[in-house]
Amino acid sequence: MGPDAGPHPERPPHSSDEAPIGRPQRWREPVALAGARLSRRRRRPSGKPPPLPHELGVSGKLWVGAVAALVVFMVLLFTVPIGDTFDRREGQFLGWLSGIRTGWLTDAARFLAGIGAEWPNRIARWGVILVLVLFKRWRHLFVFVGTVLVVSWLVALIEYVEPRTRPLGVRIIGSWEGFSFPSATVAAAAITGIGVLYTILEPGKARRIGKWVLWALLALLVAADWYLAVDHPMDDVVALVLGVALPLLAYRMLVPNSVFPVTYRRGRSAHLDLGGARGKAIRQAVGDQLGLTVTDIQPFGQRGSGGSTPMRLTIAGEPERHVFGKLYAKTHLRADRWYKLGRTILYGSLEDEKAYGSVRRLVQYEDYVLRVMHDAGIGGARSYGFVEISPEAEYLLVTEFLEGGVEISEAEVDERVIDEALRTVRGMWEAGLAHRDVKPANVLVRDGHVVLIDLAFGELRPSPWRQAVDLANMMIVLGLRADADLVYARALEQFSMDEIGEAFAATRSVTVPTESRSMLRRMRKEGRDVLKRYRELAPRRRPIAIQRWSFRRIALTVGVLLGALILWGLLQANLESGAL
Amino acid sequence: MRRTPVAAVVMALAVTGCAGAASSVPRAAPTCDHGNVLILIAQSVPSAAFVPCIAEFPVGWTFGGEHIDARSSVFWLDSDRAGLRAVTVSLDRTCDTTGAVRVPVEPDEAGTVRFERPRSLPPRFVSNRFYTFPGGCVTYRFAFRPGATFTPALEATSALTFFSRAKGVELLRREGITLCGAGVECPG
Repeated sequence: MGPDAGPHPERPPHSSDEAPIGRPQRWREPVALAGARLSRRRRRPSGKPPPLPHELGVSGKLWVGAVAALVVFMVLLFTVPIGDTFDRREGQFLGWLSGIRTGWLTDAARFLAGIGAEWPNRIARWGVILVLVLFKRWRHLFVFVGTVLVVSWLVALIEYVEPRTRPLGVRIIGSWEGFSFPSATVAAAAITGIGVLYTILEPGKARRIGKWVLWALLALLVAADWYLAVDHPMDDVVALVLGVALPLLAYRMLVPNSVFPVTYRRGRSAHLDLGGARGKAIRQAVGDQLGLTVTDIQPFGQRGSGGSTPMRLTIAGEPERHVFGKLYAKTHLRADRWYKLGRTILYGSLEDEKAYGSVRRLVQYEDYVLRVMHDAGIGGARSYGFVEISPEAEYLLVTEFLEGGVEISEAEVDERVIDEALRTVRGMWEAGLAHRDVKPANVLVRDGHVVLIDLAFGELRPSPWRQAVDLANMMIVLGLRADADLVYARALEQFSMDEIGEAFAATRSVTVPTESRSMLRRMRKEGRDVLKRYRELAPRRRPIAIQRWSFRRIALTVGVLLGALILWGLLQANLESGAL
Repeated sequence: MRRTPVAAVVMALAVTGCAGAASSVPRAAPTCDHGNVLILIAQSVPSAAFVPCIAEFPVGWTFGGEHIDARSSVFWLDSDRAGLRAVTVSLDRTCDTTGAVRVPVEPDEAGTVRFERPRSLPPRFVSNRFYTFPGGCVTYRFAFRPGATFTPALEATSALTFFSRAKGVELLRREGITLCGAGVECPG
């Protein structure tokens, strides 16, 4: 075929806005937001920090340096004969210090040495554990207990590898236990103190004051130990590095305050703080990556969302417009993992229960599902794409803000709305989609049209069981606002009796979202049992079993039980050894 | 996969039991040639003229553990026949020998006075042995599992001995180190 043989059958003809070959292509703007002021999008050059860099802080970096110095020191201690020099210098210092001993100072030093004793530390540690359990701050609890176990183990290991006597050449007048290097009492007090600071005290004034108090207490403890000659100076320095640096790094990296804030105000802890550095980062990221100028960020619809941090962004323009943002972070990724693990153990793999490998993939998937839904012509918020806030840690999905949309539970539900809602399910079936979380909070009515939101759980090419469940859940949502008989009659216009029978055969208590379930319960108390009525109307079918057994499910269950047993054993061992 | 390192660490901790914290780390045995442990024991009772130590491990005996603090030192040995913690050795400033019978000492126990206070004989051997000396007292507590014979007691006795503080002070002095306590005054 020659060049003049006409257009390629699979290639569309050039549209009018397509740039001719050889000239730079003008990219289409990704955000079709009428009136919004669009600016030039900017690529982040290599080496430039992302909008929200990982936080470690200046003090964090200093402590990393201290840990590195400690490692070098330990290597030198084992390879170069520097130990004797240290011993002599430390002996001279402690000998000089013993010269200033007086009655009242000795009493004071003995009292202050109690800061590192077992009982105050035990009380403080159990206090921390109690508070964390009470406020359900499980992640903080996990890190706190982990730091106590790991640092206690490290201290014991170093004591074993490098057993050092108590100071020689000077009379010891204080209480001690075991080898002196590194100081177990100083390390214990430091781990406890850092734990209180980073798991109990809110950032800000309380934590700032707490830091000063902790440093003062640790300084007094160290001074008392030197005065009483129970520790060498180096014992305490190394203990401080271990007891402060390692827990500090663990808290900064595993429970950074920007993601897991310590707060006693009411509100869901799953939601991230949208002010401060993150607020700035969101503005910068949306500006650079989507070309939109954000003038305001407000939390939006957080009550109904636990899997992400939803917000409303105000965009500069004539007039100002709103877009909807869903911020995903590692915390949400982990919640998704635990949720799927729980489901796999409880029911087996009813559908795809593979957890997402990264936050990026989680957001990418939701963005894709939204676009497929939009392409299929199913009513939903349009995606404008997602932006990177912090690489591999935080991403913001930006979608159309459904201005004027109200939850179906607050809207008037007439035949037209019922038909459109059911047509949405039919459309999803035909497009090979499942929403997987059809509940009143996720079905909006906007200008008389039904719109589905929150596709975080959405699935492409779902199992027939899941599609049937989507239909049943939509009928339940409609039945909560309209007569069940009417909904059933309208459903027959779009679904066969057999399909409706399948939907209710697939429905169990666990397949109905919690929100719908509690509303059904309320209506049952008022004498209207929607689900029972549907089951009476629909043709009888054998219930579809939801339990699926597989090697993976058995292995996971055994693994979780084994993990729980190991944890219990560790807890007991540490209770006995006094580490906790 | 980010989960892999986390899982690996959890598994490593679980397998090695190292997250069981301090209790899972082995303890240094007070053998008669382990200077630092002996010095620490000597520091725990500065007045004691002798410190107990392990001369050798007879077949079937292992070191169980120790606890050394500013008031006393305790360590114990496990036996494959007499059971866990078959012998517990403690060094204190004083001990109560009421009801105990004085018996002659072995040649390596010179400078001490030995007392025996048996509680029960095999098949469930339980007995206390005391060695008193200037500034201190060492107790051997034998507590064998039921059915164990008396032989492990003889083995334990041959495994345990004393290290003279005076000898230790002299050895350390040659290295320029001062061990404070009986016979050696220190600043402070």
